[in-house]
Amino acid sequence: MSKRQLAMVMDLNKCIGCQTCTVACKTQWTNRNGREYMYWNNVETYPGTGYPKKWMDLGGGFDAAGDLQEGIIPNIEADYGVPWDYSYDSLATFDYTAGNEKAGLRPTSEPTWGPNWDEDEGTGNFPSDNYFFYIPRICNHCTNPGCLSACPRDAIFKRDQDGVVLVDLDRCQGYRYCIAGCPYKKIYFNPKISKSEKCILCFPRIEQGLPPACAQQCVGRIRFVGFLDDEESQVHKLVHKYKVALPLRSDYGTQPNVYYVPPTEAPAKFDAEGKVIEGSQRVPTEELEALFGKDVHTAIKILKDEKEKRAKTGESELMDLLIAYHHSDMFRLDNNYYQEFAKESGKSLLAPIDERYSSGKNTKEITHFKVHA
Amino acid sequence: MIKKLTLGLMFFATSSLFAEPAITAIKVSNSIDLSKTKPNDAIWSRAKSSTIICYPQTTIKFNDKKANELNAQNKAKAANISAIYNANSLAFKITWNDGTQNIQLPQKSDTYGDGVAVQFAQKFDDPKKLPYIGMGSKDREVLIYLQKAVEKYFEPNKDIEHQVSRDNTNAFGNDLKKYDAAVKALAINEYHKVFVGEGFRSMTQVRSDYGKLGMDMSYKGGKWSAVFTKPMSDEYVDISKVGAIPASFALWDGDKLGRDGLKYLSSWVAVKFQGKKGGDALVDELTSEPTGDVQAGEAQVKAMCASCHRFADQNAAPAAMGPALYNIGGYSTSAYLAESIKEPNAVVVPGYNRNAHKNFSWYSVDDNGTRTTTMPPMMSDDKSIADAVAYLKTLKAEVEK
Ligand code: SF4
Ligand code: SF4
Repeated sequence: MSKRQLAMVMDLNKCIGCQTCTVACKTQWTNRNGREYMYWNNVETYPGTGYPKKWMDLGGGFDAAGDLQEGIIPNIEADYGVPWDYSYDSLATFDYTAGNEKAGLRPTSEPTWGPNWDEDEGTGNFPSDNYFFYIPRICNHCTNPGCLSACPRDAIFKRDQDGVVLVDLDRCQGYRYCIAGCPYKKIYFNPKISKSEKCILCFPRIEQGLPPACAQQCVGRIRFVGFLDDEESQVHKLVHKYKVALPLRSDYGTQPNVYYVPPTEAPAKFDAEGKVIEGSQRVPTEELEALFGKDVHTAIKILKDEKEKRAKTGESELMDLLIAYHHSDMFRLDNNYYQEFAKESGKSLLAPIDERYSSGKNTKEITHFKVHA
Repeated sequence: MIKKLTLGLMFFATSSLFAEPAITAIKVSNSIDLSKTKPNDAIWSRAKSSTIICYPQTTIKFNDKKANELNAQNKAKAANISAIYNANSLAFKITWNDGTQNIQLPQKSDTYGDGVAVQFAQKFDDPKKLPYIGMGSKDREVLIYLQKAVEKYFEPNKDIEHQVSRDNTNAFGNDLKKYDAAVKALAINEYHKVFVGEGFRSMTQVRSDYGKLGMDMSYKGGKWSAVFTKPMSDEYVDISKVGAIPASFALWDGDKLGRDGLKYLSSWVAVKFQGKKGGDALVDELTSEPTGDVQAGEAQVKAMCASCHRFADQNAAPAAMGPALYNIGGYSTSAYLAESIKEPNAVVVPGYNRNAHKNFSWYSVDDNGTRTTTMPPMMSDDKSIADAVAYLKTLKAEVEK
């Protein structure tokens, strides 16, 4: 466990599946050098196949006794989906006079699968009882990370100052046990550099007091970021004070630090005549319980009660929080905290290096990977 | 069945099959630059090869489901190893059968390359206290040379321009060819690495140019041949002034998703320098047969060890309680086994990440990082220890035909 823990809360009632977060992350971190297929932030339709395909069935995490479970390492083509491109080169060199069957503009790889292949499909019969909602997923920066526990090289570490889970790329040798160990499949293998990479919670932004790019750019303003132990932070209020934000699949035992306000605001079901069935629940509560655990029932009740209170009295701190008026309230990162921490510990900011092995104890010379000339 | 097996073991115990072979390094001319040696060079015809058995690593189990299924029934693999040396370097040639050539590919998430490694002990003046076979132990460091069959890969680098996928550039025709050439020039061709380690998980890569030379592997006709060359003397291990050294060898099978601890490894093997004096104690220690009574040892070990360790048909211990001993006889020296029984704290194998199996810590750690084993000293009289060692040395998989 780290000294302090950063957390993110996502309000699923407000996610519109626009993927702005996904793009914000991709353009910042994963659009090059073997990361093209990775989505450190993805937004998947639930119920659906998810990303990577059927990730909830791929093992990892811990059993009730606390033992790390075996897992499966997904395949890029079949499970994540290869990002295909259309090649300018094929167009430029195409012989238009030769009577070719296929036109010059061809995908670099045949598209057979990709993230969000089943976007917005959901389940049920339209319009009577169909439903779906979006689950945006990033690394949970778990308190008990499965990825870290599985690493046979001590290459993954959890920062003491904020609980961010990072891979020391210098130590990582690309063994991929971390991928098997993460029940959320939120750590990825970069085949081009043969190392594992994952969401870094935008720590270079966070250390400057800025929220992660996905949260900053979120169109639905569904994301709150702050320290869990900071009673003034909205994440603290949503998680601990009101208890309406719950971790996803906490049964995996990794103690995730991304919390979700469950989707409660679906329209009611329709009967055969197309009339509203009063009091009906379009999104089955059992589904929500499977995702967010038993506490989802109290969370739903609190949300409904507060909504009603707000409607009657015009007052509810919780509803005000969830309306998300100001970024300055939603994100509490406290810039100075990091500066002070750096000063006190004598560590430099922006150094994602695991200090356990950097003292040169085992090797006479430790230089971290150099620009390869 | 069990009776028959025991009889078989007794037969082996009395035969000389227990004696471990040594490797003799043949002296060659100082004018040859051994760091440039390739596996098929003519010079190797002058060397003498020894058959060294590499056993499946089963001390700890990894969490890759598919790999565990593929490796559940592993047998041991035989490697033919020869060595040559001169005043500057020592070179090993390792040849082993592998029906499938596996190369790690730069566009796949689940391919693994075949690989091979040589391990050197940093200190070996006391042949009874060699480093732990699994990447060394505290204060008994090892130097590991590792090579793997990979297609070109890229170290993270700051050349942002050439990190973009070729299809995302605006180049085509000759410009695209130029772009491809520039990317190729930035890639690293081989996985040739040297590590220093003092136990599982501690391996740290030596990043100077040291060790970049002198490794090569090639595949032909269902066999891999690999060469490793080590300078006789360097800042890590000096082998220039002795008559013999301990070395150990490991093989990886990419077809079975082998990587890291999912490997086959030998015990410490004595390597004698032809024509050099000294090192007799080391050679004796590493080639001698255990003298104890296997049957008496078996009874003791089964009675005393099976509640924490799994071995042979003894699977009652919780999976992560202590190191599994299924192949301990294959890759441990008798001296290490005796030391561990008598003085379990002499070498505390770091084992699993402590977070992975919280209820079964096989050691505790204090604030200074010192590990104290959970295992009490088991036996103190020499006869019992010798018997136990003789039995433990029989614990190993049979060799693949
Ligand atoms: S979500 Fe996965 S990758 Fe992220 S910290 Fe948890 S176990 Fe590790
Ligand atoms: S940007 Fe916000 S609203 Fe849009 S998909 Fe991402 S989390 Fe949902």
